[in-house]
Amino acid sequence: MEDFLRTFFDQTVNGLVIGNIYALTAVGLAIIFGVGNLINFAHGSVYMVGAYVGWVCVTRLGLPLPAAFGVVVVVCGLLGMLIERLGLRSLQNSARIAPLLATIGISFVLDQLIQLTFTRAPQSFPSPLPNTRFPIGGVSIGVIDLLIAATGIGSAAVLYLFLRYTKLGWALRATAQDRDAAQQMGVNVNAVNQTAFAVASILGGIAGMLVGIYFSTVYPTMSFQAGLKGFAANLLGGLGNVPGAVLGGLLLGLIESYGVSLFGATYRNLFAYAILILVLLLRPQGLFSRQRQAPPEPLTGTFVPNSKPIHVPPWAIAVAAGAALLLPLFVANPYVLQVLTNAWLFSMIALSITLATGTAGQTSLGHAGFIAIGAYASALLTQRLGLPFTVALPAAAILTALLGTLLVLPAFRLRAHYVAIATLGIGEIVNQMILNWDWLTNGVMGISNLPPPSFFGREAVRIQDVYWYALALLGIAALIQWRLVRSPLGRTWRALRDDDIAAQSYGINLNRYKTLVFASSTLIAGMTGAFTGHMYSYINHESFTNTISILGLTMVILGGMGNLIGAVVGAVALISLPEFFRVLVDYRYLVYGLTLLLLIRFRPQGLLGTV
Amino acid sequence: MALLELNSLSRNFGGVLAVDHVSFDLHAGETVSVIGPNGAGKTTLFNLITGLDQPSSGTILLDGKALTGLRVDQFVERGIARTFQHGRVFGNMSVLENVLIGAHSRRQAAQRGLPFIELVRELLLALWPSPSVAAEEAQLRQQALEILSLFGERLLPRLQQPAYSLSYANRRRLEMARALASQPRILLLDEPTAGMNPTETAEVLAFIRTLKTRNLTILLIEHKLSLVMELSDRVIVMDNGQKIAEGKPHDVRNDPRVIEAYLGHPAPHPSPSPFSAETHFHTEGTTTS
Amino acid sequence: MNTTTPVPIPTAQPPLLQLQKLDTCYGAVQVHFDLNLQVHPGEIVCLLGGNASGKSTTMKVILGLLKPRQGTVTLDGVNVTGWPTPRIIRQGIASVPESRRIFAQMTVQENLLMGAYQRSGWATFWPPATDAVRTDYEQILALFPRLRERLHARGGTLSGGEQQMLAFGRALMSRPRLIVMDEPTMGLSPLFVDRVLETIQTINQQGITVLMVEQNANLALQIADRGYVLQNGRIVLEGNAADLLHSPEIQDAYLGQATS
Ligand SMILES: Nc1ncnc2c1ncn2[C@@H]1O[C@H](COP(=O)(O)OP(=O)(O)OP(=O)(O)O)[C@@H](O)[C@H]1O
Ligand SMILES: Nc1ncnc2c1ncn2[C@@H]1O[C@H](COP(=O)(O)OP(=O)(O)OP(=O)(O)O)[C@@H](O)[C@H]1O
Ligand SMILES: [Mg+2]
Ligand SMILES: [Mg+2]
Repeated sequence: MEDFLRTFFDQTVNGLVIGNIYALTAVGLAIIFGVGNLINFAHGSVYMVGAYVGWVCVTRLGLPLPAAFGVVVVVCGLLGMLIERLGLRSLQNSARIAPLLATIGISFVLDQLIQLTFTRAPQSFPSPLPNTRFPIGGVSIGVIDLLIAATGIGSAAVLYLFLRYTKLGWALRATAQDRDAAQQMGVNVNAVNQTAFAVASILGGIAGMLVGIYFSTVYPTMSFQAGLKGFAANLLGGLGNVPGAVLGGLLLGLIESYGVSLFGATYRNLFAYAILILVLLLRPQGLFSRQRQAPPEPLTGTFVPNSKPIHVPPWAIAVAAGAALLLPLFVANPYVLQVLTNAWLFSMIALSITLATGTAGQTSLGHAGFIAIGAYASALLTQRLGLPFTVALPAAAILTALLGTLLVLPAFRLRAHYVAIATLGIGEIVNQMILNWDWLTNGVMGISNLPPPSFFGREAVRIQDVYWYALALLGIAALIQWRLVRSPLGRTWRALRDDDIAAQSYGINLNRYKTLVFASSTLIAGMTGAFTGHMYSYINHESFTNTISILGLTMVILGGMGNLIGAVVGAVALISLPEFFRVLVDYRYLVYGLTLLLLIRFRPQGLLGTV
Repeated sequence: MALLELNSLSRNFGGVLAVDHVSFDLHAGETVSVIGPNGAGKTTLFNLITGLDQPSSGTILLDGKALTGLRVDQFVERGIARTFQHGRVFGNMSVLENVLIGAHSRRQAAQRGLPFIELVRELLLALWPSPSVAAEEAQLRQQALEILSLFGERLLPRLQQPAYSLSYANRRRLEMARALASQPRILLLDEPTAGMNPTETAEVLAFIRTLKTRNLTILLIEHKLSLVMELSDRVIVMDNGQKIAEGKPHDVRNDPRVIEAYLGHPAPHPSPSPFSAETHFHTEGTTTS
Repeated sequence: MNTTTPVPIPTAQPPLLQLQKLDTCYGAVQVHFDLNLQVHPGEIVCLLGGNASGKSTTMKVILGLLKPRQGTVTLDGVNVTGWPTPRIIRQGIASVPESRRIFAQMTVQENLLMGAYQRSGWATFWPPATDAVRTDYEQILALFPRLRERLHARGGTLSGGEQQMLAFGRALMSRPRLIVMDEPTMGLSPLFVDRVLETIQTINQQGITVLMVEQNANLALQIADRGYVLQNGRIVLEGNAADLLHSPEIQDAYLGQATS
């Protein structure tokens, strides 16, 4: 009993320490949610930049810690203002999703720049702080722990008071609720937004630096997990709620800590996201937010209309499809064919995402999980049950539709950003299950020696065959989806997207139509996953990471939300573009990022426009 | 038997009794108006009747059957349709599509059936519409056009325009059209003439008259008394969540309590306006060059 | 143009607000055609017109929310076309927007004080920085007792009429020189329609210039000095309010007194 209490106490302290770190990132995200109504994907990157700037100051320049702090504040503050300038201000009158994409572009650029400057290797960050530790029970806390706690709680408290009691704070809140109305009160919304981004980025940068010191190391990929945990903490506390973000962060840390001690370290993330989904089920508005209100009428706030989509004439589509079909007869270069095959597969992913996100307005950031389910289902069906691929592929697709829809079911009660983050969590859960369910998935080892794709006994031995199979699948998927979105069902989905309250009041059963859209969308995702797995003949938990979800969404936005041809164009562009810059293979994400930023700047509604 | 029957319906918002033990009946073919000062609870009452909000206590009976525990969308299936006070059109969809959504619950494909099977059926019907489904869609379009033509040339020329581009009052008209497309038994109109001038209000009056001749049951919230007096078979007056009067339009109009609470008389109006001469409103001189 | 009476231009004073030769478009759709309109200091000007005639669009152009394709907006002789909205507002303009645009998550009190945004220092909003703000605040609550009862309720939970009162009160809180109102009485009960129009008259007597779109044309013209009638984006009629009130065209088209 004594032992148990001791462990419990130690885990609590541990959890609070980690939770503090989450809280610090979450606070920065909360400000931007609260003000720009934006999921800031660049926040994790700013955090990483902060860590690196701090590291350079301390280890390379030998600055004392306070001076290093100062530099981080200045650099990250400026960075935040730049992000507002590129990611928000110029996009205020474009589709709501455009700023989100811009922040993805910025994060690509920042991540790659840091990688290019400092290599991918982790750098050791010796603590410049005194080594004193204060024992508490069986564990001890160090100066850095206290510093992190003080910064987290201190900044949250200051921010809370700031938002409640200062003029700028009021302006921030008013701008978040109705930008046009705020302007009509005389609020200079651009300056207000810029301040918010600067403050949030300073917090993010400081968090990064402290975490670098805490773990004695900085590395370029630290940004992604940090962002993810920050989102999760935010959701726990209630989006945009600053004190809630701190509590959410602490809670997440505690949960993880207890989870690890109960189930082992590999369950850390699984446990965290499972709890997240559970909370969403029970308290969709977050643990620390007041009861949700009926959402405001959609046309009374600042309403940004969809753009007019570009009409692509049928003959043009036919010509493009014909050219794609005949291409392998003229181009024998296997490399080109492989790249294009990839493009067709990503087109399917983009189609699948655009159905949920663009047509029905249910933003999904977790499609990688569904693709993985499809891949594993087909792999297991062929290997364990010996089914032929022709049967396994549709079976895997249907299985994905069933499982995928079941997984998203808890998120049906959510709206807008909450759906996006919940699906992000669902994607991570799938990934963690694959990693942890050794008996089924073979864990980290993955599944190898998958038979190549074959239909009705015709194995795809040559790359040309693989190409044609992929193209055929894409054709089928596109045709199905085209029929769906043009039908009354598609109309119903769009009503759901525009105003779910009105949709219900006109007899639309929200759960039914969300089920239908996720089933259709995950069906296509599962089909893609199954094919991809067999194409590579080997899959493991790293084959389908969340970057695929984000890349897919990027393609969708690039092509124009809900636009089928746009999805294909976006996928082909983003897959083949970096190949043109083959020499620059190290700069791949830099090219992605910059292209994205430029495109959004000049065509924020996507290449072909939103439908 | 009454078509719709409210029994002691209440709604409490954390201490604010927005609707306070309200009971009344609505008979088939009647037009009943609900009037009352701002914040009296009229819209809240509509939200309760259409299932968008749940009563804290009391019951609603349709054809004698309680509507408790139904989802919002099931209210429409039972024939209750409404418009929203401030307009909730589907902004990015065209005018025609908005009206077609109104007919959603009448579509074959949207009908309920065995769990799971109903979903597969709807997907397949979307992919390969059967002849009857295709015919139905054509017929719904035809009906939508007929409904829109009730508003003359206001909406017809804008058929393919997205709803966000309509002016405020035209959005209200679109709402009415959308509600009618569900072929409701009871139509609830929440201030249908807001933002319309007297001539345009008269148009709406004629429109509602047309509906009355089709024997539709109508529940109407309005602040324009002339409209209420002309249209209503019965008027219900609410104040502070309570029903304070009910009766024939002219009886209600002369009821002292109604005059006191709603129409206003000199008494609650001490000075012309609190902006009195001593506290001069514009003294600080916000002169700018 | 069809002018019922020669409009008396108040002597010497330049117009406070002047719209000249406005052409406004939404994409390819043109809404205003050569629109001219003037508001002189101290006036109440009423903009009438049927639905979809372009009244709200006029308000958006004045406030800088929409840029005209051609033509100018002049405030006090300064060309403000293309200025950002906050800058225009800072010239002493307040607005009651169409469909109210209340800050849904802020309380009634916070909404009112947001109206006084430009009159407050950087620090705390509550208690209000100056006595003047406080006086105005109390006056508005006295005008709309319903708002006082709901003082700490969030704006989004108010009824339609209550929100309209709040939007009106919020605009008054800034002590503007010019107030532009898009249907300030929409959704108000008859009692408060009168009260709002009376208040408009009072604040006008205290020196605030008013431009309003109002569908209660009958009542509005009774308190207005001058009026304009907009039809399909063109000014078809302008003149003294009293003349307009009795002009047969207006009676027919906007006051619902057609002989049918
Ligand atoms: N979600 C809510 N939370 C708290 N109070 C609410 C909520 N909804 C409405 N109320 C309050 O209930 C009262 C009644 O509101 P309701 O919208 O029903 O009024 P109404 O009669 O329709 O008025 P109006 O004529 O102005 O539209 C109002 O005082 C409002 O503030
Ligand atoms: N965002 C928009 N995009 C395209 N057209 C628009 C847009 N907003 C308004 N319009 C069109 O401009 C015209 C004028 O609209 P406006 O809102 O100014 O009318 P209004 O006179 O205020 O009418 P109401 O009395 O109904 O409020 C209408 O034909 C409307 O359809
Ligand atoms: Mg109401
Ligand atoms: Mg208008």
